[in-house]
Amino acid sequence: MTLSSVNTPKPATKVVVVEDDPASADVLQRRLQANGMIVSVGRDGGEGLALVKSIVPDLVLLDVMLPDTDGYDVCLRIKSDGNTAHIPVIFLSARGEVVDKVRGLSCGAADYVTKPWNAAELLARIDAVLAQARSARPPRLEKPSARPERVRPMVAIALSNSVRRHRAQSLLGGTFDVIEEGGQAADLVLVDAGGVVPADLADDETAVLEIVGDGVAPGPDAARLDDELVRVAALLVRERRITRDLDAASDALITLATALEGHDRSTMGHSERVASRAVAIAQVLGLDESAVRTIRLGALLRDIGNAKLPPALVQKQGELTASERQLVERHPIHGEDILKGLAPLRSILPIVRSHHERLDGGGYPDGLRADELPLEVRVVTVADRFEALLVNRTDRRAVSEQEAVRILQGAVSRGELDPAVVAALAAQVRSAEANR
Amino acid sequence: MTLTTTRVNTDNEPRKEHRLLVNEAVARLALRTAGTYLPLDREDRPYQWSTTTYCDTYDWKVLRAEKNGHATQLRLREYHRTRPNEVLAGESLFVEMKDDSPDAGMKERYVVPTREVMSYLRGERTIVGGPNLLVNRMHELVKIGVRPVVVTQYNRIAYSAPDGTVRITADHNLMYLAIPWQTNSDDAIPSRVGPVIEREPGVIIEVKWFEALPHWADELYGYIREDMVNERPSTYVVAMGHLLGEPEPSA
Repeated sequence: MTLSSVNTPKPATKVVVVEDDPASADVLQRRLQANGMIVSVGRDGGEGLALVKSIVPDLVLLDVMLPDTDGYDVCLRIKSDGNTAHIPVIFLSARGEVVDKVRGLSCGAADYVTKPWNAAELLARIDAVLAQARSARPPRLEKPSARPERVRPMVAIALSNSVRRHRAQSLLGGTFDVIEEGGQAADLVLVDAGGVVPADLADDETAVLEIVGDGVAPGPDAARLDDELVRVAALLVRERRITRDLDAASDALITLATALEGHDRSTMGHSERVASRAVAIAQVLGLDESAVRTIRLGALLRDIGNAKLPPALVQKQGELTASERQLVERHPIHGEDILKGLAPLRSILPIVRSHHERLDGGGYPDGLRADELPLEVRVVTVADRFEALLVNRTDRRAVSEQEAVRILQGAVSRGELDPAVVAALAAQVRSAEANR
Repeated sequence: MTLTTTRVNTDNEPRKEHRLLVNEAVARLALRTAGTYLPLDREDRPYQWSTTTYCDTYDWKVLRAEKNGHATQLRLREYHRTRPNEVLAGESLFVEMKDDSPDAGMKERYVVPTREVMSYLRGERTIVGGPNLLVNRMHELVKIGVRPVVVTQYNRIAYSAPDGTVRITADHNLMYLAIPWQTNSDDAIPSRVGPVIEREPGVIIEVKWFEALPHWADELYGYIREDMVNERPSTYVVAMGHLLGEPEPSA
């Protein structure tokens, strides 16, 4: 079997040049365009950074002396933003002292070229830097909008040895449909141990099974080409399908929680706004995808316990009595009760149970303190309090985003909220404001 | 328990220390002058990145003490050639205790294996004290609970008299960063640093001396003061001011 890749044209390299001298910028732009690159020019640090953020180019060529700031500062900003940190930066500067080069490279630049530059040398350095950057980044898999349901799962066999490919095909052919060509995502891809998954055969839902040599003991997600292969492969695909089904079940729960929201004291869409804000904070903090998913789901379902409260209490506008408050403060416990039977949602239970806790132990329902509150919980707590401040309530008026950040910073001073989470919120609000 | 800590630096008397924010042109002139009279510090690689993780209690005892004019800072310092995205990540780091007073400060620093540093913050290990009793003050802080709260990063170029009597440093690209921190457990490290809270717009020049500045340094210090943007308080106070959204503190 031959696995042929779908031939797609190689995308042109996108370059942002940050250079205040129009003549230098023009010469550089022409030279790069003549070599098939798409070039955008920023005339100062601010314009350059805006271009980098919006285009997310493959490379930045950066002058050191700029009218509004210096190139070192621009480089640091690129390197400290999670969305742009991977982009290689090459300094182009007339400053050629060793300390300037050391400073540029220590800011995270991939190279430092002094002016006047030689075109052949510059292009060679650009090629080298781009090649290094490409090899350092794993290809991102685009998630398809929907995957069709199939009776027999599909397997792609991406083994390098033809004898082993045929053996795998004969073992799996009775249970799986074997894909002959790339271009559609398989349910399972077989690869050599340590091998790379072809991007045109897989998506986020594809299971990957490494095939180890005959004498090697298989680890997790690995198997040998023997009679056990069918069982292991089928199990792996089934696990993936269950995860997908659980995602669908979670969606149903979210729909239920959203419907309940229409009947309670909060405003319609509050949970979705809290979830979006919590995800944004988590991304600023650089949390991994799994933590971000937990945070999003936890934020959406955190108040599902309201379903167990008397409807009149949930709908009540205005001040609550002490006894009513006691009942309302049990909604995190009810929420945990509702969800704890669903084993795959176990990771969000701390968020549901503890999103009203405070680092100083003054929250509810358990009065937990800092060490006992996972970061995911702290993120949702901050997002929830922030979004609540942005809407009118019967007892207070809505405040601006900036004022809400200041209020939460006050809560950090009092020891209630996590300082890093509120700092991430402040950075996210500032960044969104700058992009408006 | 075997102590693997090594004391590497101790001030035997208070050292005067002034921090001044200047623009790039003033900084370059100051460094050229300092370079004429002093050698580059042999322990500091020029423009290396210094990453400092500051610790405080949950009710901000260190910060409150700083604002009252006299605090003992507890900080964890690491050095790298390029800017790291993680802290507490290398083989070892410096645990520093600094007595920070308005006009004079003392410092003790110890090399500690990074894998052990959390056990010091939990109070399970103790550092053998130096002559200035800063270690004992660290123990007092540890008893009431400290954890990393904010990080600073900058590239430093340092000139220092061989006998340590005068030291002039310039910190470029000073950034204040948050650190997402949950617990002082061993598996909490290394820790990714959080978002950049704020950046200093210029260069921070620090002039440190014990008794009196030599004539040339006194003149340079006067020049820098005349041309500075402003005087800076403790880096920790500035960092926390930005973290808590408080107005810019004055020196």
